[in-house]
Amino acid sequence: MTAKTADYRRWYVIGPPYLWLLVLFLIPFVIVFKLSLSQVATAIPPYTPTFSWATGLTAFISQLNFDNYSFIFGDPLYINAYISSLKIAFLSTLLTLLVAYPMAYGMARAPKSWQPTLMMLVILPFWTSFLIRIYAWIAILKPEGFLSIFLIKLGLISEPLQIMNTTTAVYIGIVYSYLPFMILPLYASLEKINPSLLEAAQDLGSQPWRAFWQVTFPLSLPGVFAGCLLVFIPAVGEFVIPDLLGGSETLMIGKTLWTEFFNNRDWPLASAVAVLLLLVLIIPIVLFQRQQELEREAAR
Amino acid sequence: MVLATAQPQANATASPQRAGPRTAAPQSGFAPWKDPKLAPIVRFEGITKRFDDFVAVNEVTLDIYEREFFALLGPSGCGKSTLLRMLAGFERPTDGKIIVAGQDITALPPYERPVNMMFQSYALFPHMTVERNIGFGLRQEGMPKDKIAERVDEAMAMLELRQFAKRKPNQLSGGQQQRVALARAIAKKPRIVLLDEPLGALDKKLRQQAQFELMRIQETTGTTFIIVTHDQEEAMTVASRIAVMEKGVLVQVATPGDIYENPKTRYIAGFIGDVNVFEGTVSKVSDGCIEIDGKDGYKFKTRSTEKVSVGQNVGLALRPEKIRIGREKPATDLNVIPGKVEDVGYLGSISHYHVRTAPGERVTALRANSAHTVEQSITWEDQVWLDWPVDAGVVLTG
Repeated sequence: MTAKTADYRRWYVIGPPYLWLLVLFLIPFVIVFKLSLSQVATAIPPYTPTFSWATGLTAFISQLNFDNYSFIFGDPLYINAYISSLKIAFLSTLLTLLVAYPMAYGMARAPKSWQPTLMMLVILPFWTSFLIRIYAWIAILKPEGFLSIFLIKLGLISEPLQIMNTTTAVYIGIVYSYLPFMILPLYASLEKINPSLLEAAQDLGSQPWRAFWQVTFPLSLPGVFAGCLLVFIPAVGEFVIPDLLGGSETLMIGKTLWTEFFNNRDWPLASAVAVLLLLVLIIPIVLFQRQQELEREAAR
Repeated sequence: MVLATAQPQANATASPQRAGPRTAAPQSGFAPWKDPKLAPIVRFEGITKRFDDFVAVNEVTLDIYEREFFALLGPSGCGKSTLLRMLAGFERPTDGKIIVAGQDITALPPYERPVNMMFQSYALFPHMTVERNIGFGLRQEGMPKDKIAERVDEAMAMLELRQFAKRKPNQLSGGQQQRVALARAIAKKPRIVLLDEPLGALDKKLRQQAQFELMRIQETTGTTFIIVTHDQEEAMTVASRIAVMEKGVLVQVATPGDIYENPKTRYIAGFIGDVNVFEGTVSKVSDGCIEIDGKDGYKFKTRSTEKVSVGQNVGLALRPEKIRIGREKPATDLNVIPGKVEDVGYLGSISHYHVRTAPGERVTALRANSAHTVEQSITWEDQVWLDWPVDAGVVLTG
């Protein structure tokens, strides 16, 4: 077989996924980007310009501008929404890490025969729709909900909790929803650690707690990194959780985008918000890709 | 360099023979176990370890002395590693006490014990450089940085690791990793260094080199080494004394020479070196000799102080090199067996002869090829006579 035919055949294999990405990701993105450069109009579709062969490409392009972007940068509402989203995503990532680490550690240390079951339990929530699970949290968190009733019965509180429709509820929702995405990479990296490394650390005079920080934690960092990015990236753009659990005080960019698109019918502005969100997320996404690559290389 | 100078030591003074086990030649000088005034550095007192129903170690009582290179030898699952791990503190004995330098350490956690271990898997910290791996134990003590650097450098120099100081373990070969693991185990200058199958992952040639390196390090540091191994040759090469374990029980504790020459049981006789065992019953016990009626009608006589009674079933163990092989029938009937050569293994300096006796048993004899005359030598299908002197055999009761 010549090198040329081999090359030819290679495209049969990598062609379809590239085509898939082109049609379903790149073209939509180009459309959204074009929309973000358009102006809102009372029409169907609700923006202008639309391309027509009659006026030609140059005329079409000349009508596109960056007004939406300057509008976003000029209005603190949007900047605040971005910052608030990043802050909420960052804090909830941290909280998720704090909750997930002991769980993943426990899983990795559990008897080998239990581990598949524990893994199953982590994945189990995915069998129910995400939306339904968030609705379930409303039933738990609302003032007359399960949590308040339970705590009042225990005598820990006398008044119902007022956490529904607050940012606290958003944190709870994000930590709950993204927990498996944190646990799984953490578990994968913790499970790989040879237990004799910890024995060696203790043998050399390191107390268990120090051994954890000197050996276990540094060796689990790839998992920490992967898990944090897997939670942080989607959490920044999260819409459903702040919409259902959060209140008017909860400012998140996903909600802002929704409002622009559906309530204000300002498609161009909503598109500009989306493009900027993507730009904000590109840094962590690139970091994540880089880290995955390093992982793969280390495994080789 | 503040390394303790080594005391002259039996296994290190004379250059140890590599091929084959050492003979019972006097273990000159170094024999602290014979000195009743000396207190052992390690004492296992009635140590038992059960895992659920399985008894891994059963009532082991054992003394190990300072500066010994002590080997725990046995097949996998015999409890030798469990015993070592109990000394390191990774396992708690179900019963019994472990005393190190007069102190009961049975309840101490691993990080408070004056022992350091070299792991079978090396257990090098993959995220640390060679330097940081070796200095790990010193950092736990809160030693000043310059002092740590000095000690790490000393250990690296001793194991020729200086040029790898900045490398990570995965950038090293197996042999280099093994040396880093050893350097890390000795860097803290512990009273006792434990070695759990330390050379198991090396190929044969490297292993032999590493054995001598272990002995050199043990000698220069003057530390007590306790090694766990399933390789009898390795134990014979490095150890001052060997404890043979079987199914959680100590079967024999003795010098390599003693173990080879006076194995206590058929199991040890077979485990260490080649051996021929003839079964029989004791027919007479007199003036330091035991006479045995072989079950195939041969008559054996051997010098032995073993306590046996007439009529008892015993085995007579004979090392292949102690059996003479010849074409002429010896003048006596004692310790003589006729047979036919079935196989000859010519190894240059020596030849192995596998001889089939009339009752169908296979006996191995060794002969040094001292003469040049190849034609004279015994070969396939030859009718031969095997015989041995009265002090060649060992009576086995167990």
